[in-house]
Amino acid sequence: MGKELVAMILAGGRGSRLKELTAKVAKPAVHFGGKYRIIDFPLSNCANSGIDVVGVLTQYESVLLGEYVGAGTKWGLDGNNSLAAILPAREGADGANWYAGTADAIRQNIDFLDQYDPEYVLILSGDHIYKMDYAEMLAAHKEKNADLTVAVLNVSLKEASRFGIMNTNEDGSIYEFEEKPEKPKSTLASMGIYIFTYKELRKYLLADAKKADSKHDFGMNIIPDMLADNKRLYAYEFKGYWKDVGTVESLWQANMDLLDDKNTLDLYNTKKDWKIYGEDTLAKPQVLGVDAEISNSLVNQGCTVDGSVTGSVLSANVFVGKGAKVVDSVLLPGVLVEEGAEVYKAIVDENVTIKAGTKINEEQKDVALISNNSL
Amino acid sequence: MAKVIGYVNLHSDVSLKGLTERRPLASVSFLGRYGIIDLVLSNFSNSNIDNVGVLIKEKPRSLFKHMANGNAWNFNSKNGGVQLLYDEKYAGNGMYNNDINNIIENIAFFETNKPDYVVVAPAHIINTMDFSELVEAHAASGNAVTIATQKVKNADEKWIGCDYVKLDSDTKLVTQLETNMGNAKNRMISLETYVFSAKAFATFLKNAEKVSPFYSIRDMLAYSLDERRIGIYEYKGYVRCINNYHAYFDVCLEFLNYEVSTQVFHTNWPIFTNTNDTPPTKYKEHASVRDSMIANGAVVNGTVEHSIIGRDVIVGEGAVIKNSIIFSGSVIDPGSVLENVIMDKHARVKNMKNLKGEVKEPLFIKEGDVV
Repeated sequence: MGKELVAMILAGGRGSRLKELTAKVAKPAVHFGGKYRIIDFPLSNCANSGIDVVGVLTQYESVLLGEYVGAGTKWGLDGNNSLAAILPAREGADGANWYAGTADAIRQNIDFLDQYDPEYVLILSGDHIYKMDYAEMLAAHKEKNADLTVAVLNVSLKEASRFGIMNTNEDGSIYEFEEKPEKPKSTLASMGIYIFTYKELRKYLLADAKKADSKHDFGMNIIPDMLADNKRLYAYEFKGYWKDVGTVESLWQANMDLLDDKNTLDLYNTKKDWKIYGEDTLAKPQVLGVDAEISNSLVNQGCTVDGSVTGSVLSANVFVGKGAKVVDSVLLPGVLVEEGAEVYKAIVDENVTIKAGTKINEEQKDVALISNNSL
Repeated sequence: MAKVIGYVNLHSDVSLKGLTERRPLASVSFLGRYGIIDLVLSNFSNSNIDNVGVLIKEKPRSLFKHMANGNAWNFNSKNGGVQLLYDEKYAGNGMYNNDINNIIENIAFFETNKPDYVVVAPAHIINTMDFSELVEAHAASGNAVTIATQKVKNADEKWIGCDYVKLDSDTKLVTQLETNMGNAKNRMISLETYVFSAKAFATFLKNAEKVSPFYSIRDMLAYSLDERRIGIYEYKGYVRCINNYHAYFDVCLEFLNYEVSTQVFHTNWPIFTNTNDTPPTKYKEHASVRDSMIANGAVVNGTVEHSIIGRDVIVGEGAVIKNSIIFSGSVIDPGSVLENVIMDKHARVKNMKNLKGEVKEPLFIKEGDVV
């Protein structure tokens, strides 16, 4: 018997708007929230939703991401009949094939999916911060007897022009998809989360592969093709915290959101039902020195703080020296802020040293990205 | 390459009052995120000793939970791993419940691994010893047994109840192995860490059966001094003995001293432990924290000074914690004041807003109690 559902996470993108942060790692592997990498969120959601086979499709700088995901042990996806499989673009008898688009990436892994013979396939992006029970979405998909269910978020009318918008009937069925419409008719934005009935998906992917003019993209090609054929497409509205961290500014903002007690992501799992799993860095306990001052911040293990930290997120093994000041900033693992240095409203890349006496982004207008290249 | 197996010897554990009422010393919380046993297990792992047996004396539940499948300590999973060695038969039978009987009862661990050397180390003596150096020194000496030791100058205050050795001035072999009663400052203290050549170990066990079923490894070593060549290996690194409740409190808080913690935490000598997937520590608006160690998952909105705060601890607004150790999952309600307190897991300070112990006698709050 096949699996009821297999999840596929699209994790091949570079995320070039994250600039130096993705110079050596794919966007899903970018550090987040002091302890996590972005992909921990979809992977933990899969694990918590009871999904046990997850394919992770990689392309851009896939080595670190592959190493990180490993066999899925960090998320408990390593039991019997369970795994996280890294699926990089590969070379076959017909030559080397990069993933040409989101749909093409899945199409090239039809052999992987066929092994599990799933009834449904869940397609996810590797670069969103949210907690979601995919089992509920699957229940909705089955209830509507849908061919495709698209998770949507009700955004403001102003924001709607930035998203792919689903125009729906009263019963939630989708009659039209508009990519970044100038005059949106609806505010239901696609989250890039799809549940397909696999036999339909398979058919459309194979047909799409033959079209020379196709971009092989779910939003631009597969969804319009299915709509044209009057397939059963439904929107599934997600209510909760969801953030696409595509830019330096939004990555910074998503980190800052964690400091807000009213944030609905519930990273601290107060409901005791949805932990976000990830890597537990081998690090010494977190130490606050005799001169430390700290408030309104998140700090991971391995950090040593002997200066002043406010409104900031500190990843593993960050060191903040005596008299140093860190304000409204996100420090990635291994950052060293020397004595007396000051950092304001910045994302500081891994292992960067802020030298004693330096002041970073004092005017605090925009979010500064500090990497070894920018110093 | 010589094959070495290890035993973590929990039979020499001591009682830490309420802390060990329901668990062995080995699984008592250490520095907010470890169990005491993590140090010795990490020493084995970092010394590339992949086959380790844990000799459990009693109250194994929390230890089973902590150890899980043993993967956290990074032992080679195909060609090694951790085995929990426990024998129900002796658990309630004091004199029989000793390390030698446990090893004999679980002799398959020794026999199937076919080691060249056996290292036995306790959990309650905190150090970061490289056992491969210990084994090398032992192999070079040609002795039957080598005891790791350290020369101390405070044997009249600390190390009470531990063993010390005296050596023959010519042969440097151990001539005496006695209990330290605190009547001298300078002693060569036994770290209760022994390395045996495998053959000597097998003979040693056989002799023990003949001599007395009540004899522990330590007793048998003392008994065999005349007939066996027993040498020492002087360990020069950081070492402390958690031999009572006060020592536990002192040793833990001593780690707040940077000079102490840097002796133990090295990047090339990681201390492994199991993960709980807790988010980073959250410091809220009214947090004021200094001179402290705080574990992940804690949410702090009060004042913390010279203290160790465990995983998932909640420190409410305006609460003050000084010179205290708070175990994981405990809750300190807003406005509470704690000084010189050891608070066990999942307890809560709710009604008694002012809890003060003495530096010499820290107040103990039991696991799960709401006070």
